[in-house]
Amino acid sequence: MKKHIIAVVLGVAAWATPLFAQTPSLPLPPAVEKDLAARASDVTEVTLNKSMLGFASKFMNGKDKDEAATQQLIQGLDGIYVRSYEFDKEGQYSMDEIDKLRQYFETSEWSPIVRTREHGEITDVMAKLVNGESHGMFILSAERKELTIVLILGPIRMEQLSELRGIGGLGALGAMGGAQHGPHGRDKDKDKDKDKDKTGDNDQNKNKGTKDGGK
Amino acid sequence: MRNLWLIPVACVVLVIPATVVLASNGEGAFDGVVSSIQSKYHVRATRIPFMGLVSLISHKATHGGVSGMHFAEIENFQAPVDGEELNRMVEQKLGAGWERMIRETSRNGKEQTLIFVHPEGNRMGMFIVDKDGNEMDVVQISVDPDHLNQHIGQYEHPHRDGEKDEDASQ
Repeated sequence: MKKHIIAVVLGVAAWATPLFAQTPSLPLPPAVEKDLAARASDVTEVTLNKSMLGFASKFMNGKDKDEAATQQLIQGLDGIYVRSYEFDKEGQYSMDEIDKLRQYFETSEWSPIVRTREHGEITDVMAKLVNGESHGMFILSAERKELTIVLILGPIRMEQLSELRGIGGLGALGAMGGAQHGPHGRDKDKDKDKDKDKTGDNDQNKNKGTKDGGK
Repeated sequence: MRNLWLIPVACVVLVIPATVVLASNGEGAFDGVVSSIQSKYHVRATRIPFMGLVSLISHKATHGGVSGMHFAEIENFQAPVDGEELNRMVEQKLGAGWERMIRETSRNGKEQTLIFVHPEGNRMGMFIVDKDGNEMDVVQISVDPDHLNQHIGQYEHPHRDGEKDEDASQ
């Protein structure tokens, strides 16, 4: 009798589980995401979990060398999340919100690899390192009237970003990854980062003033 | 012994409703979404005649790559659309198992795109709601990527690989 009850409970649980399944969201503070979406004039959200990536990879031609490499890359990923917010006017998001997003990844696992501040535009790239291997990438690009967040979970390297440009909504990654293809691509960014760091405080304060002041 | 004929009859009686329910599941979700949109925004959807036949032909033509096609077109869509509300409504009508892959929304409501997917074994169900200006299209299809890719591959340009090689050598 007891076995029957357990079987029934397990059966009901198995049946009910999908009912509680929700659309997977970007693993970020939901409040920030919601606030940004409410203020934006245009919002684009791309959510590709492992099963969707597996499905997308099937459309690639395994016989083609380039596509086979992309197929292999996609099959190894756990998820790709993109959020892009376009605003009507400047100052629709604050530096506090940017900091909140960034702080979410300021854990021991995530390391900043690119950080630029230029003319009120911010680009942050962080990588999740596990045993020296990159197992995730977080890209934050903030322009005066546009904010883009990309989170890729799974084994990926910076130079592989351009391979994902063929997937809907990820075209911008092509340029980002392509910039790394040059022999000194990454170093150049590091130098840029260092240069920025020297004047970083001034720029950051300037940016902060612009964003917060505009709000 | 005389009542043995009851066994196949009973099987048929039991199997038919299950088959009907399974077959109409996708259609039910599609109709649910379309009728909700119609009543919420006071619009009328135009259904393509003989869509069942079109779906059957596309199934045969793509060797099972595409099947279960449903399509509705709404013209003269003047009502303002709240992207969040539309998304909630479609999510609710589709029910569990459908996951949103892409959402594009503009605050003025003129452009709205929602793409939901639903794994169906080797196939993937896709549900698309797309509003551009005063027109909205609602599409549901079931896709088998392996078959479809194989089928598309037949029509690939023979010189494509050659062009790639040329690019690589440059």
